[in-house]
Amino acid sequence: MNKTELFKPFYNLANNPKEIKDRYLKEGKKIVLVAPVYTPEEIAHSMGLVPMGAWGADVEINDAKEYFPTFYCSIAQSLLQLGMNKKYQGVSAVLIPHLCDTLKCLGQNWKAAVEDVPFIPVAYPQNRKADFGIKYTYKVYESVIEALEKATGEKFDEAKLKDSIEVYNAHNDAMRRFAVLCSKHSDVSATDRSAVFKSATFVLKEEHTKMVNDLIDAISKEDEVSDKTKIYTTGILADQKAFLEILDKNNLQIVADDVAAETRQYRTDAEVKDAALQSLSEKWANMDNCSVLYDPKLNRVNYIVEQAKKYDAKGILLVMTKFCDPEEFDYPAIKKACEEANMPLVQVEVDRQTKEYGQAETLIETFKDMLN
Amino acid sequence: MFTLGIDIGSTTSKCVILEDGKRIVTKNLVKRGTGSDGPDIAVKKSLEDAKLSMDDISCIISTGYGRNNFAQANGNKSELSCHARGAFFTDPETKTIIDIGGQDAKVIFLNENGVINNFLMNDKCAAGTGRFLDVMSGILNVDINDLGDYALKSMHPITISSTCTVFAESEVISQLSKGVDIHDLVAGICQSVASRTANLAKRGKISSKIYMSGGVALNKGVRKALSQELNDEINFNPDAQFMGALGASLLAYESLKKNLN
Repeated sequence: MNKTELFKPFYNLANNPKEIKDRYLKEGKKIVLVAPVYTPEEIAHSMGLVPMGAWGADVEINDAKEYFPTFYCSIAQSLLQLGMNKKYQGVSAVLIPHLCDTLKCLGQNWKAAVEDVPFIPVAYPQNRKADFGIKYTYKVYESVIEALEKATGEKFDEAKLKDSIEVYNAHNDAMRRFAVLCSKHSDVSATDRSAVFKSATFVLKEEHTKMVNDLIDAISKEDEVSDKTKIYTTGILADQKAFLEILDKNNLQIVADDVAAETRQYRTDAEVKDAALQSLSEKWANMDNCSVLYDPKLNRVNYIVEQAKKYDAKGILLVMTKFCDPEEFDYPAIKKACEEANMPLVQVEVDRQTKEYGQAETLIETFKDMLN
Repeated sequence: MFTLGIDIGSTTSKCVILEDGKRIVTKNLVKRGTGSDGPDIAVKKSLEDAKLSMDDISCIISTGYGRNNFAQANGNKSELSCHARGAFFTDPETKTIIDIGGQDAKVIFLNENGVINNFLMNDKCAAGTGRFLDVMSGILNVDINDLGDYALKSMHPITISSTCTVFAESEVISQLSKGVDIHDLVAGICQSVASRTANLAKRGKISSKIYMSGGVALNKGVRKALSQELNDEINFNPDAQFMGALGASLLAYESLKKNLN
């Protein structure tokens, strides 16, 4: 397989979000930024808007430190920095869910620091499964719709939301199938795999679904390859180039993941039905196994171990985003579950500002030696 | 058959030449680490001592922070894998290895065959590393090699409460200005390193024998404090600083043998 050619379009998208933004604006489309995680993109999509992922970037953080302390999640810090750097000029609004304390502060700081892109909160209820939780989510979505209509001048139509849900379900399906395919093709590098996931956040889902389906068709024609050490990854974000290159250099194959910026967001579909907003609210209720989703039983912990076993991973690489409270809270339980299951686990810290991954490289190399 | 292992750390370069994976022919330490001429000097001195040339060396494995930048190496391995191999070669009863290096501290857990089954690394902070001792020896104007002797003469060790090396520096200066006995201060500093390292080690399953490798293993004060913290004997070898290079040299020999078979 000519991998370079196959993955080139994904790299082009993943590495050039500004060009994509400019293209959409030139085409007369309106863009809404969607901050992590589980932002109801389908609503914006159904209103004819382009939801563009905003997970921060590897930029120097200076002005944003006026609003955040030093020891703070660099996704939030870099996202605010990009806003303050006017990188989102022309964008109609930003949707920021309140799923952790960091994101709550990000929304408030955004309001104060970024004047040209209106902030729209998505104040999800954490008690999401009971009827009252679903009703609450419905109300939250109504307020999001109202704010989006005000910010963009576009109108919401529930019939169109039903169509958008179908578009998003098709994309979820493509991304899930791609992830499974990667478990059977060790010749898809960690860097290539990441480019597919990262690119998904920047373009309209119907465009990306077609690209991923074509990619799946091309890879599926090739023989399966299994010549690397299989690992399972978990965390919020794992798209740092230098970090991914260490995985590739050490012949590590990501056979499945629980990474929020990767497959975590594609696990749950919304039911396609006429009461589309209700369906979207139920989708939120059906989501599970995530550090930012309230779960008194912490089922996520066993989910991670079971998934790692299912895909025959020899170990779990926990990619900890520095200063991420929800992930830090889950770590001791994950560690304990891995010990009980005899599943090797190593934690590597990453953030948006790390340039030198020397110590991460030492950890990962030793982990590989340990697994082999 | 001669193999060479070079451990290029943040502050020193160590080189070991082995014959047939068994006999240490020579070892050298140069007090300059990655990014300097230290690695080249360490290799040159080792070859001279062993009366060998580079052509006599069948395989070179580099390890340590600067392992990727040593062009003559045939391969490289992480320092944890090398310390594990070196320490197990030195004492096959080793189950837990504590390596306090110049910029980080590591704890490695081995099974009965010397294979790593878990490891921990403190990579966030200079407190609890060799760098911490280096900074403190500078403030106290005591040679870093003498810190252990100073600590053992302490009658009333003081407690260093600051977690951060920079704040600990201020704290030590403050204690000095109060006229606190320097031996008590050094003992407190050694205790501080031992306490942080012990807390790291306790996150894993510590089994005897515990073996200390790396330069800080030569510090009697830290060894004594660590022994008290872990309530176990801390074993070490006078060649503790060479365990990484020894392990690299052993792994070089093993890779050759594997290729021959």
